Amino acid sequence: MKLTRKQVLAGAAVGALGAAGAYELVDQLAGASPPRAAAGPLPPEQHVLDGVRTITDNGVEVAVPPLHHQVVTARVRVDAADLPDAARALEDAFADIERRYAPTPAGLGATVAWGLPYFHRFVPAAWHEHAPRDVRALRSALLPARRFDSDPDATILEDNDVAVLLRSDHLEHIAEASKALFEKLDLFEVTSIRKGFAGGGFDGGAGLPKQLAVAAGVPGAELIPDGSELFLGFTSTQSQGLGPRKIVNFETLGYVDLRSGYFHGGTHMHLSHIREQLDTWYQLFDFDDRVDTVFRPGLRVREGTQTVRQDPDDVSTRAQIARGFKTHRIIGHSSAIQTASRLQADHVAGDGTVYRKGTAIPHRADFNTLDNPFFWSARPTVDGMSEQPSAGVHFVVFNPTSDDFERVRNAMDGVFPGGARLKIPPRDAGQGFNSVLETTHRQNFLVPPRRHRSFPLAELL
Amino acid sequence: MKTALVVLAAAASLILTACGSSAEPAAHASAAPSCPAAWQAGWTKLARQIDAPVYCPGWMPNPLDGRIGSQWNGLRTVDKRGGFLVSFIYQETGSGEVHVNFHRWPGTRMPHCRAQTSNRQIPCYSDRAGRVKTHGIEATLYTVSRDADQWHLSYLWRANGATYVVSEHVAPPFSFAQVKRNVTRVLRSLVLVPSQA
Repeated sequence: MKLTRKQVLAGAAVGALGAAGAYELVDQLAGASPPRAAAGPLPPEQHVLDGVRTITDNGVEVAVPPLHHQVVTARVRVDAADLPDAARALEDAFADIERRYAPTPAGLGATVAWGLPYFHRFVPAAWHEHAPRDVRALRSALLPARRFDSDPDATILEDNDVAVLLRSDHLEHIAEASKALFEKLDLFEVTSIRKGFAGGGFDGGAGLPKQLAVAAGVPGAELIPDGSELFLGFTSTQSQGLGPRKIVNFETLGYVDLRSGYFHGGTHMHLSHIREQLDTWYQLFDFDDRVDTVFRPGLRVREGTQTVRQDPDDVSTRAQIARGFKTHRIIGHSSAIQTASRLQADHVAGDGTVYRKGTAIPHRADFNTLDNPFFWSARPTVDGMSEQPSAGVHFVVFNPTSDDFERVRNAMDGVFPGGARLKIPPRDAGQGFNSVLETTHRQNFLVPPRRHRSFPLAELL
Repeated sequence: MKTALVVLAAAASLILTACGSSAEPAAHASAAPSCPAAWQAGWTKLARQIDAPVYCPGWMPNPLDGRIGSQWNGLRTVDKRGGFLVSFIYQETGSGEVHVNFHRWPGTRMPHCRAQTSNRQIPCYSDRAGRVKTHGIEATLYTVSRDADQWHLSYLWRANGATYVVSEHVAPPFSFAQVKRNVTRVLRSLVLVPSQA
């Protein structure tokens, strides 16, 4: 029997879901999984990951992310009329996964997020009625992805229906969950599989990014500092740089009108893939240049430092950034984005929690990858799939809204909330990070609360 | 991509299990380097022209040679203060580049170059990555180089009141590791050529 192209692709995707490829090395190199705290009851939020261990590096508390990550994107392959049944089947699968694995790095963090194409194609009327609205931006909380000043024209703005993020210290947990969701259920047509890893160097040794990049023959890999959490040589998961537990929830900061309240406990997720030119980063930028452009110009830290304190008191003002730019012609990545990623004033949430000025908002869930750009794609030509491994990051971040993400990403280019703009060409060397990054794909998603995660709004049809 | 990564995993596993073995030949620290006869004249002439000692390489990465005036010799510039830049380069579209530079600056201060983002003068070499002692030379390896040495791995040392550099471009067909081996071998092969015969 001759298989259709669709069947062939589906078969290939199933094979790729469970395959580890080079990422098997993560377990060989990292050794035993780090000790993890146990989880409590399941939180209402899907995006919260409990049981994350912290360590101290250079006097700074740092969260140790799960070793393995995978994102699977897909199109829904059931008819609208069958959505309620599909929702029950998917929910049963998630519930089964949760019975087997606690939502922690030692178990499995599973987050399902839905794109605008799903809401527009399958549940347009219910979406119109219940869609959360960003009252600060006066737009929907979920916007189509867009390109930013430093993005290439070729950046693909995706239109997936759904994305599932799986995080664990154990590859087999991710493989089993992937099979349960995408192989045993006939609900989705997989469009891409994205894999990667994080950390691995906190307890000494060369660290995963360096070892995997060297093994892959990535140019510049030998210059990644030993122990680095990321390919680019610095730590991104210090606790003060990560948003507190509920801060990205739609309801927390008052950015969102939840209307009916259907999506209370939900949030927004941005997913992109970014290539990183390590040889440029390590051969054209010396350590001081890298500190200047990653943090702020003129900051001096001991050579070799990877974790630089980013407490609320360390946040730069916009005036300080402008002065630094005028003097050095350089934008510090962290200091620039903090104009949008940190609270500009104290905030008291509806549940009484006080969030102090300078508190970080986004929850980062990004991970290193050698995918180029994906581990597997249903559209290899369109997605520009290459057999040659490439250093990069699958950038996954939770913000309260699409607009909130855009504010942060614009600030990275020197475009600040309110429209003020530093006059620096896109991808100029003075933008440091941006000059060595190339975003290949972007999409925004809505992460429903756990109670509505499976085909949200379908039960209202 | 999947296939490539699986192959990579297998290859890397082999590397991992082979830890402890070495493909490096035994060091020949005691073997005195020599300047090939065909290369000697050009370096001697350079030393006399600037009235200061220079270093002749006893070895160069394939396909280059170290003969000033050969088909591979790209630049030979000298200044009035006794500085020079001599480069050897092989470059072919599609097959890559092999490029070695030799410098001398009068004085022992770190040479300065213009910064990428401003007119500020900054050290031409930074990010130290080790030291090598060989035949009277104590050189520091730098992984960030500027101006004529941009993209090069550079060894810098001081001698005779001057600063000397030998560097090689990190580019295909050689890997970073191979370029590091190459430039270290060039350094170890250097022979001092006095200005007065």
